[in-house]
Amino acid sequence: MRIQQLVPPLSADLAQALQEIGIKTDTDLLLAHDPLTIFAKLPTGHGVTLRQFRDALAQVAELASAPVAYGDKLFEQEMKRQEDIYVEDMLLGVPEVDALLGGFNPPRVIELSGDAGSGKTALALQVALRHLTRTANSSVLWIDTGGEFSPERVALLVEKLEGPYSTTALERLQVSLAFDIEAAHEVLEAVRQALSAAADSDAAGEVYDSASASPVTRCIVVDSITSLLGPMLSATSSQGHAIMTTFMRQLRAFADSFSLTILVINTSTKVGPRNTYVANPEAVFETGRKPGLGPSFTFMTDATLWLTRRSRDEQEGDADSTVHTAEVFRSRITRSKTWAPFRIRNGLLVSA
Amino acid sequence: MSGRSLSTLSLPLSTLSALASAGYETVRDLSSSTPEQLSKDLNLPLPASQAVFSATRASAVLPLTQSAAAMMGATKRYSTSCAPLDKLLGGGIRCGSVLELMGPAGCGKELLAANAVKTFVEANQEVLFVDMQNMAPPATIRRILSDGPTAQADGLDLVHYQTLHTLTELVVFLRNLCDYLKAHSNIALLVLNSLEFPLQSVLNYKDRAAIMDIVKETLARACQDMNLIVIITSHLHSKQVPGTEEPTKWIMIPAYYDNQLPKGRTYRVLIVPQWKTSGVMRLLFSPTHVPNRPVPEEPYQKIGGMIQ
Repeated sequence: MRIQQLVPPLSADLAQALQEIGIKTDTDLLLAHDPLTIFAKLPTGHGVTLRQFRDALAQVAELASAPVAYGDKLFEQEMKRQEDIYVEDMLLGVPEVDALLGGFNPPRVIELSGDAGSGKTALALQVALRHLTRTANSSVLWIDTGGEFSPERVALLVEKLEGPYSTTALERLQVSLAFDIEAAHEVLEAVRQALSAAADSDAAGEVYDSASASPVTRCIVVDSITSLLGPMLSATSSQGHAIMTTFMRQLRAFADSFSLTILVINTSTKVGPRNTYVANPEAVFETGRKPGLGPSFTFMTDATLWLTRRSRDEQEGDADSTVHTAEVFRSRITRSKTWAPFRIRNGLLVSA
Repeated sequence: MSGRSLSTLSLPLSTLSALASAGYETVRDLSSSTPEQLSKDLNLPLPASQAVFSATRASAVLPLTQSAAAMMGATKRYSTSCAPLDKLLGGGIRCGSVLELMGPAGCGKELLAANAVKTFVEANQEVLFVDMQNMAPPATIRRILSDGPTAQADGLDLVHYQTLHTLTELVVFLRNLCDYLKAHSNIALLVLNSLEFPLQSVLNYKDRAAIMDIVKETLARACQDMNLIVIITSHLHSKQVPGTEEPTKWIMIPAYYDNQLPKGRTYRVLIVPQWKTSGVMRLLFSPTHVPNRPVPEEPYQKIGGMIQ
């Protein structure tokens, strides 16, 4: 943080003198040199005594420190928030899978990972569309990173999910194409502007005309974040990892400040080196695959759901449907290593 | 002003490190300053600090965003001048979709792609025809357009013709495609004839995947922005069936994986010649494709070109 931006500000003479010797930010002031050295270096004629300088330093240190939060107050806030938000309907519609994470209510950042064809996009689509068909004035942003979004498929699904607002559901599903991380940041920035404008007008208490109000984004789905962040990760440089961390923290801050559910779809990679089979120790069922983007990605989201397609030649020769399982690999909110089966019949997820 | 972190803007690294060392972290920190002040503060040239300010200006409309209803709304369908193909696609090819025609050598897929140009010219739309193996020279296109009762005298003027033979030319073409389409907004069809020909010189699978990434991104953007129809023809690769020896068994497989083309918009049709003048066409992939189900088939007859 720059010295000029400190509130309450330092005395003008001191700030000016510090600028002249090249100390511009609070980290420079507190950490670059010993206080006496800085005081000695200050140009003459500033009229600040050593005691005043030390007081100023103490004040800057207090402003620069992290804000304090008490555990019991945080718990109270969380409980209150959970009561308030349950009005929003953000569920999958399959009770066993909803119970794994306690629903998909905001604010959450949830990672869906699994092999190709395991039902990740189908799950995210069902959560989003079910919400849109049951809630009048909310919209969902789908960030498509590979051109995979198919409106025909979505239209078929909307017909099957009957809800009171299905006629306008497709108009409220916004699809953005973002092939690289800069484009994704632009999209998020535009959403941030729209949501802050909506929040400001709510706070100002303007007359709320529900017919003309534009729908508020309640859910963001990033389809295949692996193609967005994966190419930048490399063994020789940590810049890609830094970009990944910044992006995920930004999503987290978004979800918290605007009360959103963010579903992030991640693909899978092999656990062991090439041509050898190593079992994944975290999985309930034996598998040689793990979620992509490295071991630290799972800690950047609230929960990681691992989806697998079970083979179809089990009992109940139901030619139209496939059996899948959803496992919780790691979760900040519920128990992990729990799992539930579900079926996908004609694109719709139902109980097994 | 927003709390967006400055490191997420696309600025050169020197500018970003100058901003960071002076303590500017978010866009809000810049709100009290002007480009001239900033360039003095950070010791940057004025154009660089102006670039910082223009990058922070947010756009009002979500970039490259459409609602799903709008994407479905492009319902105009064009006929491909081939009845069985139209039937497989459900009435013709929709705006904003990609059609890939695959088949063994000599099945007539390039001529089929050239015939599709006819409907567009008759609807007074322009066509960008890219030929990569000289399978449909301009004379052929002129003959196709002048056939039939609804031929126009200046139909050929609506066709932009381009030949490419090497990989470099293909990549340059793809990089310039979006700008070219913006400049000529009446182009409704792009034909990439024999797309596999420049790609077969790429031996490394990573390079090939990288180039297909460029293809996929360019096509997805063009289809979304400009509702373009793309027709691609590609030949099949031969692959030895593992485990068969003496005699070895070979099969022909498609050149591209499903996820190397934009899945939400692509229709992949395989032409299977069974007799000398007839065979079937199979729709191997479509946006509503369900895996492990029997694929729709349509029989065709080969009369000169390919008509039922």
